Amino acid sequence: MKNTHDTKLIFELSKPGCRGAVLPACDVPSPDGGCDASDWLPADALADAPPALPEVTEPQVVRHFVNLSQQNMSVDTHFYPLGSCTMKYNPKRNERAAAMPGFNEVHPYQPEETIQGMLEMLYELQEILNEISGLDACCLQPAAGAHGELTALLVAAAYFKDRDFKDRGEHRTKVLVPDNAHGTNPASAAMAGFDTVTVKTNPDGGVCMEDFRAKLDSDIAVFMITNPNTVGIFESNMQELADEVHAHGGLIYLDGANMNAILGITRPGDWGRAGTGGADMQHYNPHKTFSGPHGGGGPGAGPICVVEKLAPYLPAPMVVKKETGYSLDYDRPKAMGRVRAFFGNTGVLLRAYCYLRTHGPEGLKEVSENAVLNANYLLAKVKHFLPVPQGGRCMHEFVASASKLKSERGISAMDIAKRLLDYGYHAPTVYFPMTVKEAIMVEPTETESKETLDAFAETLFRITEEEAELLHDAPHTTTISRPNEVQAARNPCLSCR
Amino acid sequence: MNPETLLYAKTHEWIHIADDGGAKVATIGISAFAVEALTDLVFMELPEVGRDVKPGDSICEIESVKAVSDLYSPVEGKVLEVNKPLPDSLETLSDDPFGKGWIAKIQLTSDAGLSDLMDHAAYQAACKEEAD
Amino acid sequence: MPYIYNTPEDQQAMLAAIGAASIDELFESIPDELKLNRALDIPPALGELELEQHVRELAGKNLHAGNAVSFLGGGSYDHFIPAAVDAIAGRSEFYTSYTPYQAEVSQGNLQAMFEFQSMITRMTGLEIANSSLYDGGSATAEGVLMAIDTTRRRGQVVVAGTLHPEYRETIETYLHNLGVEVVTIGPENGTIPVSAITSAMNDQTACVVLQHPNFFGALEEAQAIATAAHNAGALVVGVFDPISLGLLHRPGDWGADIAVAEGQSLGTAMSYGGPVLGILACGKKLARRLPGRIVGQTTDRRGKPCYVLTMQTREQHIRREKSTSNVCTNQALFALRATIYLSLLGPGGLRDTADLCLRKSRYLAKRLTSAGRFEMAFDAPTFKEFVVRDKENNVEELISAAASQGLLAGVPLGRWYPELADCFLVCVTEKRTKAEMDRLVEFLEIGAATTNTDELVAARI
Repeated sequence: MKNTHDTKLIFELSKPGCRGAVLPACDVPSPDGGCDASDWLPADALADAPPALPEVTEPQVVRHFVNLSQQNMSVDTHFYPLGSCTMKYNPKRNERAAAMPGFNEVHPYQPEETIQGMLEMLYELQEILNEISGLDACCLQPAAGAHGELTALLVAAAYFKDRDFKDRGEHRTKVLVPDNAHGTNPASAAMAGFDTVTVKTNPDGGVCMEDFRAKLDSDIAVFMITNPNTVGIFESNMQELADEVHAHGGLIYLDGANMNAILGITRPGDWGRAGTGGADMQHYNPHKTFSGPHGGGGPGAGPICVVEKLAPYLPAPMVVKKETGYSLDYDRPKAMGRVRAFFGNTGVLLRAYCYLRTHGPEGLKEVSENAVLNANYLLAKVKHFLPVPQGGRCMHEFVASASKLKSERGISAMDIAKRLLDYGYHAPTVYFPMTVKEAIMVEPTETESKETLDAFAETLFRITEEEAELLHDAPHTTTISRPNEVQAARNPCLSCR
Repeated sequence: MNPETLLYAKTHEWIHIADDGGAKVATIGISAFAVEALTDLVFMELPEVGRDVKPGDSICEIESVKAVSDLYSPVEGKVLEVNKPLPDSLETLSDDPFGKGWIAKIQLTSDAGLSDLMDHAAYQAACKEEAD
Repeated sequence: MPYIYNTPEDQQAMLAAIGAASIDELFESIPDELKLNRALDIPPALGELELEQHVRELAGKNLHAGNAVSFLGGGSYDHFIPAAVDAIAGRSEFYTSYTPYQAEVSQGNLQAMFEFQSMITRMTGLEIANSSLYDGGSATAEGVLMAIDTTRRRGQVVVAGTLHPEYRETIETYLHNLGVEVVTIGPENGTIPVSAITSAMNDQTACVVLQHPNFFGALEEAQAIATAAHNAGALVVGVFDPISLGLLHRPGDWGADIAVAEGQSLGTAMSYGGPVLGILACGKKLARRLPGRIVGQTTDRRGKPCYVLTMQTREQHIRREKSTSNVCTNQALFALRATIYLSLLGPGGLRDTADLCLRKSRYLAKRLTSAGRFEMAFDAPTFKEFVVRDKENNVEELISAAASQGLLAGVPLGRWYPELADCFLVCVTEKRTKAEMDRLVEFLEIGAATTNTDELVAARI
C-alpha cells in the first residue's frame, strides 16, 4: 500500500511551470516609475534567477507530505516508551489554544499595552514554575533544555564574577557532572567556559560519594545533578551533596529532565538540610513534563528557575506585574545577556500553561504518582526476564539490561529495540546511560493504561524467546530495514544534488 | 611489523622505536584490539606534522559511527611524518593496524613515557582484563 | 484527571503486582524531610471548557496581525502562510513524534529533513545545511563559534552594528566567558563602510558577521565586505532574510562561508517571537564543525535508499564536553513547515513574494515621507524594511497612538540605538494592501498635525 511515486524526493516530482501558491497582483502603483527590481536595487546585488526550488502543485505537495507522515511512529499512533523523553499524550486543547491568533499572530515587538493577555499568561507561568521548583525567580527565554542549562551556567558565571571573585581573587573553574548524566551537561559546561570534571556513579546510578568528595574543592562552581537520575532512582545522598557543595561555595544545578516523577511531591529548592537550601537553579523541559508535542525533534523550551541571590543575573526581559498591568522589565543591570532573539518559545510555554491549569495542584501530583506507578508496574513485569541492575523499585523510568541475553544468546539491546518496531511499539531508549551495559531505558509515562503496559510486557517477553537470527534482521515489517549508518557517516550525502 | 615485538600503551597505541642515524624515532599506531573495539571506522584526522608532543597528549581522533577515540602520544618528541593516505583508506587501519595502518612517526626528545609502556604479553593481559 | 487511565481498581491491581501497599510507598526513596507535605500553591484545575474560556479571554486582550494591521518587522514577519502548510504540519504523525532515532519508523521525518537541508543548500548556495537550530539569534552565535573553532583564531570577532541587536547581544553572551572579544562596527548612514571592516581586521580575527539586508532593511556592500574579511584570513558569517533570496544574491554567492537565518518567514507563525526556526549552512570544509542534527542518505540492508541521522560524533551525546555544541534538539516541525512552504511557492512564488515586498515597501516609504513630518533616515537601498525619522521626535507616543487604532506602525529603535530614538523601523510584507498602507499614512499624517497624542487617542476612541 506504500505509495512509492509520491514519496520520491520532492525535487524529483518537480515539473517546470507547476506552482503550488500564486501571489496576488501588485495593488500599488510603481513608485518612481520603476518596473522591475533593478530600478530600485543595485544590479550587482540581484540574482539572475531565484533558488532552484521544486516546482510542484498544491495537491502534489499534500500527497507527498501526507504519505511521508504515514511513515512515522508518533505518540498519537503508538506507545512510545522512550526513556528520558517523557513521551506522554499531547492534549488537543493545548493545540487549540496555541493556534488562537491572539497568541499565534502576535509580533514580539508590539507595545506592551497590546499584549496584556500574553504577558499575564507568561507571568502566571513564571509563578507556577517557581512554586513547583521551590525556587524564587524564573526566566522563560531558553529555547530547549540544553539551552536552559547553558543559560543557568552563564548566570552562575556572572554571579561568581560579581559576588565571589572579589573575596577569592580567583575564578571558580570547575563544573562537576556525574558520568551517567546526559551529554548536554558537560557540553553546556564547556560552552559556558567551565572545565568539566566527571564524577563516578555507583551501580545504583547514585553519585559515588567517595569520588565526589575527592573531586570537590574550592574551585567548584556548579555541581550538575539529574534527580531522579538517569536510571530512574532518587539520589539517596541528595542532602549531603547539596550541603557539601554549598559548604565549598558552589551551586547546585538540577537537570529537570525527570521532573515528571516528583511534581508536587518534592521540590528541588527544598533538597538541602533545613534552612540551607537545595538546588540553586534548574531547568524544565515543558515539551516533556508539561506535554508539549515534540514535533519530530522540536520545538521545545527550557525555562529556568533560580534562588533569590541568582535572580539579578537572569537575562532580560522578565515579565513583572505592576499596578497598571503587566510589563517587560529590561532594566536589569546585572543580567548576563541574552541567549536568543525575542522573549522565548511562548508557543511551547502556552501549551505548558494550559497543561498546568488543566491539572492544578492535585492533578499534578496525580500525574507523578501515576507515572511512577506505571513505571514500577512495568518494572515488576519485566525484571523476571530482562534484568534491571538498579533493583526492585524505580521512579518514573527504569533501565533494564540485555547484557545476559547478549552473552548467552547474542541478542543485543538494539535487536530487541528493532524487533519491538515490528510489533507496533516505539523502541525504548537504548545504549543510554553508557554506565549500564546493553541498556534498555523504559519510561511509560502516566498517560498509558494498564492494558497497554500488560501487552507491551508480554511482547517484550515474547521477543526474548525468539530466535536470535530473526532479531538480528529485525525490523521486518517497516518501510525500510536497518539503515547502513557506516556508509552514511563515511561518505556523507547530506543534500540532493 | 610483528605485534609481538612492539611496545604498547594502556590507551591501546603500539610503539616501535628505531634508531635513525642517531635520532630515536617512534612509529605509532593503534592495536588490533582497539580497532575491533571501535567497530566500523568512519573518519580520522592525522596529527599535525611538526607539533611537539608529550606523553598523554591527544594528537588526533579516530571516529566510528557512534564513538570517538583520542590517540594519545605515548612519548615525548616532535611529529616527523604522518601516514597521509590513511584517512582516505580507513580499511587499511582495520586490515593491517600494525603495518600499513601506522599513523605517525615521532622523533623522541626524551625518554619520558617509555617506562610506562607494556610488552606484548602484558598488553594482552590488560586487554583480556578490559574485555571482561 | 483527563489524561490518566488508571482506575482505583487498576491502581490496586498494579500495586499488588509490584508488591507495594500504597502509591506513597513507591516514593519511599525520597527522604520524608524532603517531601512537600502540602498542596502546591498554584491555581486550581480547570475543565476543558473553562480552560478554553480562560485562554480565549487572555488571547482576546492581545492585538495581533489578524485584528490589527502590522508593519512590524525586525526579525519576525507577517508573511502569508498557505493553508496546506497548517494542514500537513498539523498531522499527528509529524507533530507528536520524537527525534528520529529509530530510522525505520521515522522515514517521513527524516526524508522531510533531508529535503529541508537540500532546499537550504539551494537557497544559500552553500554545500551543507543542518536540520535547523533554535532561532536566528542562537544560530548566528553558533555560526560564530564554528568560525572560531575552524580558524583557531581566538582574538576577536568583528560584528556589524547593523546586525540585529538581539543577535549581537546573543553573540556577546555566548562569547563572554571564552576570552574572545566582540568588536562592533558602528553604522554610517545605515550601513557598514567597507573601510571600517578592513581596518578592524587583524590576524586573530575569526570572522566578520554581516546581515544583508541588514536590521534597517538596507543592502550592505556584502561582496566587498566579504572580500575584505577573506583578505585578512577571516571567515564570513552571513545573516540573510530567506524571502529576500527571491531577488537577491545568495549568501554563498556574495562570499559568506557560513550562512545563518531566522526561518520564521517560511511558513511559521510569529507567536510572539518563538518557537521559530534557526537556519545554518556552510561549505563542505566546515562540515565536521557543524552544530546540531544532520540527516544523510544511505541504503538499508536490502539496498533501498533511505535516510538516517548521521555524523553524530560531532554531537553532545557522544563527544560530551568536546562536542561542537550542546544543542540536542532541532526545530523539526518548523523545518518541515519551511519545506512545505518552499515547495508550495517554488522559485516563481519566492520571486513574486520578494518582488511584492519590495514594491509595496517602496510605495509606503514614498508616501510616508512625502507628507512632511517623516523622512527616510538613511540613503542606502532597502528591501522590505526601512527606517523612518520622526522630525518631531515623538516616536513612542506615535506608535502607541497608532496601536490604539489597530495599526502596528513600526518598531521604535531607541532601545538599541539611542542616537536613533527619533526613528522607527517599518516593514511591508506581501500581505499589506494599498488600502492598509494608505490608512497608516492617513493616520500618521493626522498624528503629525496633532501634537498632543492624548487628545488624539481620546478623539479617535
